[in-house]
Amino acid sequence: MTVLDNRVVTAASGEEAADPRDPRVRLSHLLDEGSIRLISPEDKSGVLAVTGRVEGVPVVAFCSDARVQGGAMGGDGCEHIVHAYDVAVRERVPVIGVWHSGGARLAEGVESLHAVGRVFAAMTKASGIVPQISVVVGAAAGGAAYGPALTDIVILSDNGRIFVTGPDVVRSVTGEEIDMASLGGPDPHSKRSGVAHVVTKTEAEALLRARQIASLLGHQGRVRDVDEADFGDLLPDNPRRAYDVHPLVNGLLDEPGVELHPKWAPNMVTMLGRLGGRTVGVVANNPMRLGGCLDSTSAEKAARFVRMCDAFGVPLVVLVDTPGYLPGVGQEHDGVVRRGAKLLHAFAEASVPRVTLVTRKSYGGAYIAMNSRALGATRVFAWPTMDVGVTGAVAAVRILKRRELAAVPEEERPALEAKLAEEHEKMSGGVARAIELGVVDEVIEPAKTRGSIAKVLAQATPARGAHGNIPL
Amino acid sequence: MAEVRAEMVANVWKIVVSEGDTVAEGETLVILESMKMEIPVIAEDAGVVAQLKVAEGDVIQEGDLIAVIE
Repeated sequence: MTVLDNRVVTAASGEEAADPRDPRVRLSHLLDEGSIRLISPEDKSGVLAVTGRVEGVPVVAFCSDARVQGGAMGGDGCEHIVHAYDVAVRERVPVIGVWHSGGARLAEGVESLHAVGRVFAAMTKASGIVPQISVVVGAAAGGAAYGPALTDIVILSDNGRIFVTGPDVVRSVTGEEIDMASLGGPDPHSKRSGVAHVVTKTEAEALLRARQIASLLGHQGRVRDVDEADFGDLLPDNPRRAYDVHPLVNGLLDEPGVELHPKWAPNMVTMLGRLGGRTVGVVANNPMRLGGCLDSTSAEKAARFVRMCDAFGVPLVVLVDTPGYLPGVGQEHDGVVRRGAKLLHAFAEASVPRVTLVTRKSYGGAYIAMNSRALGATRVFAWPTMDVGVTGAVAAVRILKRRELAAVPEEERPALEAKLAEEHEKMSGGVARAIELGVVDEVIEPAKTRGSIAKVLAQATPARGAHGNIPL
Repeated sequence: MAEVRAEMVANVWKIVVSEGDTVAEGETLVILESMKMEIPVIAEDAGVVAQLKVAEGDVIQEGDLIAVIE
């Protein structure tokens, strides 16, 4: 067993500057100083595997050696990765892969394809058992693209590129002219494809994010007492006005967390962070984008996040302010029924403690999907501003009382609408009825939010779902 | 140059800026009305509003150009 001294490989030591592609350099930036132990030989396999710590938390890590055949994966290198997975699963610790690889080694032919397939199988068998984080710092093509894609979290740095086939092959087959960054860089993968959960401006920041996430998932902590935060000014006075939910999500957490997929399906926020010192996953509608509507992409994004948190025993906090599912031909043909069903399934199957807070609107199918009581929420809180129903009260009476409204002169219609809406709310729904039915447990003041949620999480029986985390 | 496009079908309820205005990142350009919500459209980059392609009362479709920031 070899101990690597991080200082030897940093350029700051005054010694000969190390090649930044050297896996020892990359792993020394990822892991705590002096914590690295080799678990694979340093050879020409194109992969180095180690154990180490991040913020004191034990992890297994491996890194492509881009100096050897561009980091391409052959039989030996893949064997090192499979071994790293064996160790991670045996020790029940997170595994972090740092990728810079052209994919399977051409010279090894079918042998390298078989070996890459064995890596995929090891990743899939470990899914839901140990957290898997991928950091893509250079090109990751073909097999090296699907490796990260099978893991729980993909972090893409400025020079990271992920694609099945590169620009040359694309050009020769389809005639499309595109460069590597536009095809598989941070921009398309953070905004369009959803392949990358986190993108960063530098490789150092990418490795730092991997450390944060490994620590959040690998050392979850227990809930301690929390200070309250005042969210009183957060909601606009006008209930129709959209607002950004980020201040609420960040204020709920002890400190701002790590947001996953911030630019893909931004109408739903998914964030890992700590509440009272304990790791939690927050799922929140963001009214600023698409009015906070659920749509096919945001439902799929949240479903995958919920299943990941459930697999690793991370409790969920769900913040609801949504006018419903987004209507439209595009949505229906895009599979909003099939993809929206994933979110229903994810919440309904989840075993972890999960608390819902309705801050404002919760209408229709989106009410059910956002971790409602019916789907098994541990506790459902509401702020006094909550409004719940199949649709908004005014919209409901416009349909239900269409004839009555049509019978009065136009100038009297708004007053009648308001009166009918009030009656409708009393009879069919609203907060009082929701509490009576037990679908909302308690109305809380915004200033009691952190404490109320922390208390539920502290008292809940810890649990985790027995399932993998298929990349939905 | 950054194009600001509509994310969803909506009515243009209010125009907040004019062509030639300097805007900061996160500043509201126009306010749309959709799904019974008033939804601000914000500038994702700082710059000058070079073009404003919508007027109050317009109905816009997903993907329609709202403004160009330079």
